[in-house]
Amino acid sequence: MKEQLSALIDGEFDVENAEHLIRSVKSGGELQECWQSYHLIGDAMRNEMVLSHDFSARVLSALGDEPTVLAPQPVVKPTIAKTSFFKTNQFWSVAASVAAVMFVGVMVLQQQLNSAEDSSPIEIANSMPLEYLEAHQAAAPSGAAYYIQNVNLTGAGQ
Amino acid sequence: MLKILSAILLATIGFAGFNSASFASEDAWLALQKAAFAARELNYQGIFVYQNGKQTRSVQITHMNNAGQELTRNMILDNQSVAGKPTSKQPREVFSQGSDIVIFHPKNDKVIIEKRRGQNLFPAMLPVNLNSLKTSYTAKIGVLDYIAGRQAQIIELIPKDAYRYSYKIWTDTEFGLLVKMTLQNEKNETLEQITFQELSMLNSHDLNWYQPSIDLSKKYEMEDATLLNRVHTNWIVAELPPGYVKVDHIEFMANGKTAPVNQMIFSDGIASVSLFIEPVVKGQRPKMGHHLIGSTHICANIVEGYQVMVVGEVPLATVQQIAKAVSFKKQTATR
Repeated sequence: MKEQLSALIDGEFDVENAEHLIRSVKSGGELQECWQSYHLIGDAMRNEMVLSHDFSARVLSALGDEPTVLAPQPVVKPTIAKTSFFKTNQFWSVAASVAAVMFVGVMVLQQQLNSAEDSSPIEIANSMPLEYLEAHQAAAPSGAAYYIQNVNLTGAGQ
Repeated sequence: MLKILSAILLATIGFAGFNSASFASEDAWLALQKAAFAARELNYQGIFVYQNGKQTRSVQITHMNNAGQELTRNMILDNQSVAGKPTSKQPREVFSQGSDIVIFHPKNDKVIIEKRRGQNLFPAMLPVNLNSLKTSYTAKIGVLDYIAGRQAQIIELIPKDAYRYSYKIWTDTEFGLLVKMTLQNEKNETLEQITFQELSMLNSHDLNWYQPSIDLSKKYEMEDATLLNRVHTNWIVAELPPGYVKVDHIEFMANGKTAPVNQMIFSDGIASVSLFIEPVVKGQRPKMGHHLIGSTHICANIVEGYQVMVVGEVPLATVQQIAKAVSFKKQTATR
């Protein structure tokens, strides 16, 4: 079933004979999870704004009794209704709330000025902040160290 | 026409006046320029090894320039064991399209999808515009060597001051591609090395390799909402070490933190330094001082109630100067 679903999403499975697949995707469970995984991977690879994890589930339930909507065009790579997500108000309200969160974050950042003079500084060598190392390696241009990322760094400098 | 000809003639005579050393330097920069383009324009596949201190990584790279669009897949081949337990057999895969990076990171019964931005990943370590490098380094032609069975020309990048390390760059004499690079400190000790072990040019234009290997027994998830946001705050670094410019400024929520972390990235064209700023949290002792991990220097400072952390594969003087030069500009008039 999973292989057939994979073929369906890749446009390599006869849509006419796919009704059983669509029915089992809609009934939930393992196959629905696969369906979501495929679309998550597809969105990530196509460099699109990836929406929340349960987004595809919500789309799925919203599709109601229209199995044909699920079926991708046979030859062309599937682009299931993706452009329309961005045109809906729902998308923009998501974007707006993200922006609001960031704005609040900045406010908090600025209000916490001068808020912590009560504890004495600690020597950095006694408490290595490895998360900074990782963030540096992940974002810095020409980071050869990029490939070391996510290794167990603890004790690396000793 | 005559004017142009005489101009060319004059230029040629002018060049002839240079001594051989400056010719050698011109040749060195030319080879580096060629390497910068070759890494982005050629289609190749190979395995390279990255070493930093005791850590080693083997990575299989496939790179294709598909009508101006750069596509790369990096598969990290030897996922080292973490805390004694072997990690998943499925390799970590890193896909990049231009500067957009998507990472498929197997973790137990899940695969975490991470999105990043990045550029100048191996072998495209050199910027296309070498002017920034020319202000901070001199380039020198070295000897010939062999890397992955291919002849390579060594070019040395020697820093003009103490704010950066030196680099050795091996370029393939046939294709111009960067095939090896090492980073040396002021004592000429090698800190990092990255080198091709196998390399071949691709003749096909098939893009089937540009897709992750999907393991349907695992659950795919986007990484926890690490919001990346490009920002313009009032943090300023009054006096950067010479040659360094700000190349990026992002803000993100780190795990377990209550306030976002500001991260600025500075680069002199090849070396890069990250500056992190976040409020000091009540009840937590802020950090001071500096430390060396592998080839990376870290320097901590406290500025106006904020924890400042500077990280980079650069000399201590560089991270220290940046850590000292951070200040908060309360004026917002420039915005």
